[in-house]
Amino acid sequence: MNRALLLGLATTRRLAGGLALLIGASFLIYATVRLAPGDAVDAITPMGTPPEVRAQLAAEFGLDRDTITGYVTWLKRSATGDFGQSLVFLPGATVMEAVWEPFLRTLVLSCGSLLACLFLALLGALLLGEPNARQQVVTGPLYVLTSAPSFVVAVVFAQAMNWFIFTYFVKAGYQAPPWFPIPILTESIMPYVFAGFALVAGDGLFMDYLNAMRAELLNLRRSQFITAVKAKGARTAGHIARNMLVPIFSGYAARLPIVLGGVVIVEYIFTIEGAGYVLLEAARARDFPIVVGVCVLFTATIITVSLIADLVRALADPREVARGG
Amino acid sequence: MEALQQGIDLSGIKSTPSIDGAILQESNTTMRNRLSSDVAHRDVTHRDVVRQTRTQGLRRGAFGALIGLVALLGVLSPAGAQNFTYPEDTRPSSLVPFFAEDMSSVRMLELIFDSLVFINKRGDVSGGLATSWKVSPDRMSINFVLREGVTWHDGNPFSADDVVFTIQAAKDSKTVFNAKSKYNFIQDVTAQGKFGVTITFARPINEAERRFRFKILPKHAFKGKTAIKRSNRFSRKPIGTGPFKVKKYASREVVLEGNDAYWNPSKISGVRMQHTPDKRAQVDLLKFSGKQSGVQAVIFLPPKNVPLFENSDTVVLESYHTVSWWYLAFNHKNRALKDRAVREAISLAIDREELRSAHLGQGDILSGPFVESSPFYNFEVDPREQDLQRARQILDDAGYKMKKGMRSKGRAKLQLTIVVDKDLASGQELALGIQAQLKKIGIVVKSKFVDHAKYREQVFKKKKFDLTINVWSFEEVEDIYPLFHSKGVINFIDFKNAEIDKLLDTAKSTTDYKRYKEYQKQLHAKLNKELPYFFLWSLDVYSGLSKQVKNVFIQPYYYFTSFNEWGMRR
Repeated sequence: MNRALLLGLATTRRLAGGLALLIGASFLIYATVRLAPGDAVDAITPMGTPPEVRAQLAAEFGLDRDTITGYVTWLKRSATGDFGQSLVFLPGATVMEAVWEPFLRTLVLSCGSLLACLFLALLGALLLGEPNARQQVVTGPLYVLTSAPSFVVAVVFAQAMNWFIFTYFVKAGYQAPPWFPIPILTESIMPYVFAGFALVAGDGLFMDYLNAMRAELLNLRRSQFITAVKAKGARTAGHIARNMLVPIFSGYAARLPIVLGGVVIVEYIFTIEGAGYVLLEAARARDFPIVVGVCVLFTATIITVSLIADLVRALADPREVARGG
Repeated sequence: MEALQQGIDLSGIKSTPSIDGAILQESNTTMRNRLSSDVAHRDVTHRDVVRQTRTQGLRRGAFGALIGLVALLGVLSPAGAQNFTYPEDTRPSSLVPFFAEDMSSVRMLELIFDSLVFINKRGDVSGGLATSWKVSPDRMSINFVLREGVTWHDGNPFSADDVVFTIQAAKDSKTVFNAKSKYNFIQDVTAQGKFGVTITFARPINEAERRFRFKILPKHAFKGKTAIKRSNRFSRKPIGTGPFKVKKYASREVVLEGNDAYWNPSKISGVRMQHTPDKRAQVDLLKFSGKQSGVQAVIFLPPKNVPLFENSDTVVLESYHTVSWWYLAFNHKNRALKDRAVREAISLAIDREELRSAHLGQGDILSGPFVESSPFYNFEVDPREQDLQRARQILDDAGYKMKKGMRSKGRAKLQLTIVVDKDLASGQELALGIQAQLKKIGIVVKSKFVDHAKYREQVFKKKKFDLTINVWSFEEVEDIYPLFHSKGVINFIDFKNAEIDKLLDTAKSTTDYKRYKEYQKQLHAKLNKELPYFFLWSLDVYSGLSKQVKNVFIQPYYYFTSFNEWGMRR
């Protein structure tokens, strides 16, 4: 009872903190986008447009309000779930219509890739076991290979794959796979597979994750309570698994922002219509409601995931709650 | 002015290394490996042989695994149906005709909407939604007889009311769009029964029927309300009378399906446009285009990639006529550049042929603000040739003395900033080339590369630049009034010349085409002398099309006008 109450209290506190963070971040995002040079009216009107036409358009787009009033109006409307209208990116659509589906795609892609990365890192940590000099033959080159930025991996992969298939399939007279050439323009799951690969293999994500998992696992195995468990003759697997939950979840939450940062450009390369693509294109067109919408959704995702990680930690480790979460 | 689309079409062209380079490099390294193993002499032991066969086996195994993986991935993804697919550099800004502000929208609208008339392959006016027309003898009105039995994509019948509605909507002051002045010549519009329209003009109009190429909108979809906003729901689900219906309109792709009820249905069943901003990806998609994959056309091939397709088995090059020319603009607010002698010296110091052929490919060097195929191009004016000696002489005579590699006159130094849009094809290379060439006559140029939105603000709005390179593109023929008249709306260089103003005004007020043409030729010669800009070149532009596509005719500017006659080989 007491523990449940403490847990509830800690969760509420975290939620309130998360909300405050979201509001603060949304103001920063809103102000940055509004203060950037050029606006949506500039993006669509050619030089020489009469000032009265520009003024009419600015009013239509809500650009005639200053940043603070604009933000307050935006915040009030957003509280009711109305994030406004797209100005020039997808005219006639609300921000949610334009952003929600791409956002889900991005979410599945980035969370999925990170999950795959986690799985591989855990597998690697279990297989490698105690570190020794011979392993460096494997880990050394892996470091080098996975340290390139994910978009570089994506571009190189696409080019290399196109060349490979062209040389060994098309020229050799075999039927090329339907996803050739990259980028794939038809409806297909392959862009997601390739983008996932680039995200896992780029940004140094995999080796970083692998090392973290390995260190945690080794520490755990060497810890005194595992020795005690062993001394009692009990199985250690369950204890290790439960104690690994915390680093797994906090590691996941900590790495999600990296993946969300990388996905923006990787989506662009594999022509995936995700939130990253929407963000870049809307920013080009200076469609500020869309840009603010996507950024706020990204921020909300990161805050939510870290909240979940905290909750998992609290559930797995009672000391966390006792300490006040 | 509405005809000017600033640099949109060519803006995606960037230098792109070809994939052939990769193949070449690859074979070079294998060759080198083989040579080194030939050269190395050593005794071959049994262990070596075992090791070698083992590694070979491993290598073969890895290769087989890779092929297997590729095959597996192939099974995983379903094959798409055969459509006409093409990539675009920019997303269509709107599929509502009034608000189509970029070329990718203009091309797409050609497939979805119809106009009263269109210009056919021979350049003549052909009937679209109108079957015949008659201009009154005083050239003050036109009568259209409309096509009967046409339906909108949602099944509603098309009638004269839709034409009346479109014109009224365009003239409604609450419908705000850039090309509004296109409709200024129309005084009034009335329906004559269900299939007749009479349109009266504000002034006598020559060849009036040519002006009715704007797209017709459905009255019922707007419930008759002529004030149309960009955020109207119609933008999401556009309804036209054209040969294709909108099946899917997402932010990254537009999918169209054939309109079976169309009076001249297309031989191609579906069209798919995908926004692919990377030009190299576009070229790859065309190069590797197959039966079920890749793209069937690349609208603009980067000049550097044109040779790649010159003897291709799968791709044909179609030259594509555009009315667009490149320029180096001088900001006349800059004290040094206000001096005609400095502008003259700069234009004599720059070798345009070298810059163009090195960075952009084939084209024509121009001497004035028209392309060579324009009726207004004055062939009696020769383009300037590079002449460094004379350039130096002119600067000396104007009092600009050389000091430590830079010329100055009193406190005025010849140090200029060139501002370049990062989206401009080869813009950075061109700016650096100009920098190097002007250095030879003692003019120091600093380059500044900015992104597109910043460029528009800095150059066109705030006018903070000395030099800039850019492209003007026109719909049909060049209208240079807004560029060089002191009151011209896009005279962003602050150019003022009473003589040229007078000539532009006279040309604008004449109704006789022959005399208009003569005035434009005079303007060509005068502008070549006065140098508001240094006129650079026009480029030969190519589209790349898959050989699967037949009966191709590319309409200048609109591109897809005759698309219903295109077909696909099985």
